[in-house]
Amino acid sequence: MTEKENLINAMKSGDIGSLLELTEKILSEGIPAVEIADSLIQAIREIGEAFEKFEIFLPEMMLASDAIVEILKVLEPRLKEEGSDLEMKPAKIIMATVKGDIHEIGKNIVITLLNANRFDVVDLGSDVDSLDIVKAAEREKADLIGLSALMTTTMLGQKEVVEFLNEMKLREKFKVIIGGAPTNQDWADRIGADGWANDAASAVKLAEKLINNKGVR
Amino acid sequence: MGTPPYRIWEVNNRSETGVFMEEKKFINERVIPGIRRVVQKYEIKYDPNNPVNMDDSMADAVWNAAVEAFLSIGVYNTTTHRIIEFTREELDEAFLGLPGSYLFGAGKDARPFIARKPEDKTPPFMLFSPDITYDEKDHFKACVAYLKEPLLDGICAPILEYFFGRKISSHSPTELGGSLMHAMNLRAAARLVGRPGIHFVAVGTAEADSSQIHVSDNEYGIRTTDSRLVASTTELLTNNEMMNKALHYQQYGCYSGNLAGAIYGGYAGGAEGTAVLQTAYHLMGTLLYSSHYEQNFPFHLKYGSNTGREMLWIVSTYSQAIARNTKMPQTSNGFANAGPGTKMLYYETAAHSMASTISGANLWEMAPARNKHHNRGTPLECRLAAEVGYGTALSGMTRKDANGIVNTLLEKYEKDIPEAPIGKTIQEMYDLDRAVPGDEAREQYEEMVKELKNMGVPFPY
Repeated sequence: MTEKENLINAMKSGDIGSLLELTEKILSEGIPAVEIADSLIQAIREIGEAFEKFEIFLPEMMLASDAIVEILKVLEPRLKEEGSDLEMKPAKIIMATVKGDIHEIGKNIVITLLNANRFDVVDLGSDVDSLDIVKAAEREKADLIGLSALMTTTMLGQKEVVEFLNEMKLREKFKVIIGGAPTNQDWADRIGADGWANDAASAVKLAEKLINNKGVR
Repeated sequence: MGTPPYRIWEVNNRSETGVFMEEKKFINERVIPGIRRVVQKYEIKYDPNNPVNMDDSMADAVWNAAVEAFLSIGVYNTTTHRIIEFTREELDEAFLGLPGSYLFGAGKDARPFIARKPEDKTPPFMLFSPDITYDEKDHFKACVAYLKEPLLDGICAPILEYFFGRKISSHSPTELGGSLMHAMNLRAAARLVGRPGIHFVAVGTAEADSSQIHVSDNEYGIRTTDSRLVASTTELLTNNEMMNKALHYQQYGCYSGNLAGAIYGGYAGGAEGTAVLQTAYHLMGTLLYSSHYEQNFPFHLKYGSNTGREMLWIVSTYSQAIARNTKMPQTSNGFANAGPGTKMLYYETAAHSMASTISGANLWEMAPARNKHHNRGTPLECRLAAEVGYGTALSGMTRKDANGIVNTLLEKYEKDIPEAPIGKTIQEMYDLDRAVPGDEAREQYEEMVKELKNMGVPFPY
């Protein structure tokens, strides 16, 4: 097994310690950082696909996602030195479960996959006031706001965020995507969101599409 | 007979004094490794060929794993950011005090609610529940339609989404108002069908603690002979609002159940970890909330249902783990993939009802169409679950018999789970003015019963 393969296996098992050691070793052997990063990004895509097919479960996906975030931090200065065109400061996304709703796992899975896809995610947690979400998006200079709601009685929080963005003349600054069990594309259209995602994998694809269209990435 | 609240103030105090930790750390460093460790240690193994577990030692291993996991993980209070922990002695003390049976409801409508055993010949307590929202104009009629069902022992009614035309918003006056409307509709419907004392688990429209407290009333609302639910969030998380509900139910004097759904594919991992975690929730309910029973709805992360092969194994295994090792009554809450009026929903319902009943659970059926489509739930699928539940218990069948039939049922629907049809609405299937099924729906039901009987599914008549 090559060192690069060892690196990928360490990422799959979420062993950050071994991963860091191996990375340092490979770098010291003169292998370009961009080559390592490319391999890891390909590996995390495969892990994401395996999770989508339920060949692995959330804990394994979380471990791999945390691992790639850590390792890319280590690689970032080397990539700069190499003048790599690998984008290490991608678009910023604010994620929150809306006011009155304490269910987080759906949002957390989306965050795990977004992290794995190298988005810079700010997690505001659950039961977050609509105005606090808007203010956080401004403060963080976010490109996109992701809003989760699990109950029919809390999906109104998604509508309220869009309304506040309109009232505060900030709507054009942020793309807004929504998700959660009681929501659908019709609801997204009715409240004026930019998109709706049925699951975590489609949320990532939707975010990529909207951000590319916005011209951030 | 009721269970005394378990050292309620001492337990509550731990929310203020327990170990401080951030939520993510609790999940990553306690929940995930805690469950993984016991699954390995107790050699718990999912068997896809046998969706109904027949191995007593496996059920007991799941119980032992759950005890060890729960005591090592604890429960995290997201309000105080502290961990509430328990000892083995406390666990033993709390479970020793369980009476094993309650009388749910009042007067002539009261029914025994018991801790059943695997292969128990006592029929399950039948809680009818669609677990979804209905149009405001049809809510009362839908309550009547459910309450007219002869095998119903208790009801968790349709939920309201609108209150006087306004969409109900969590923690707002519309939620308080809608919750009261829900309770009053149920109370009036129960009296009109001649079951004024029937047991309610209510009200599902109330998410906030204030809304639940608002409907506690022995005259027009939820009585002390009814029960209420306290939930937790994913996984092993509570907060002060849930603790408020638990305290209110104890002090108001009604029954309460711990509402818990471990997620297959989530933090617990696969079927093995999910079965352990669902078992652990019984410990949490008893010790933390002083719950009288456990309301179980483990579900698949991707589909939001629990009628797939691995889900039925989870249901049967944790039900047996609890039934063999405790006197805690439990309900098994079905979440089907398909919607009303589809053959698939009836196959799923029969499989879930059999796997649950034979394993010692009471029944809480049936949430169709992945519990997410407005108006898509009817009393017919609940009726089928009840008839199959009665048939399973009264026939004296074994877990091996049930396993064979459940495997046959799975062959009928498991390939269709990813693209399950959402079916029809109650308005399309019922004559709601008369609160009875329409001709087409009734005829389809009769045909399905014939087909299921031919497949070996037991019915009481």
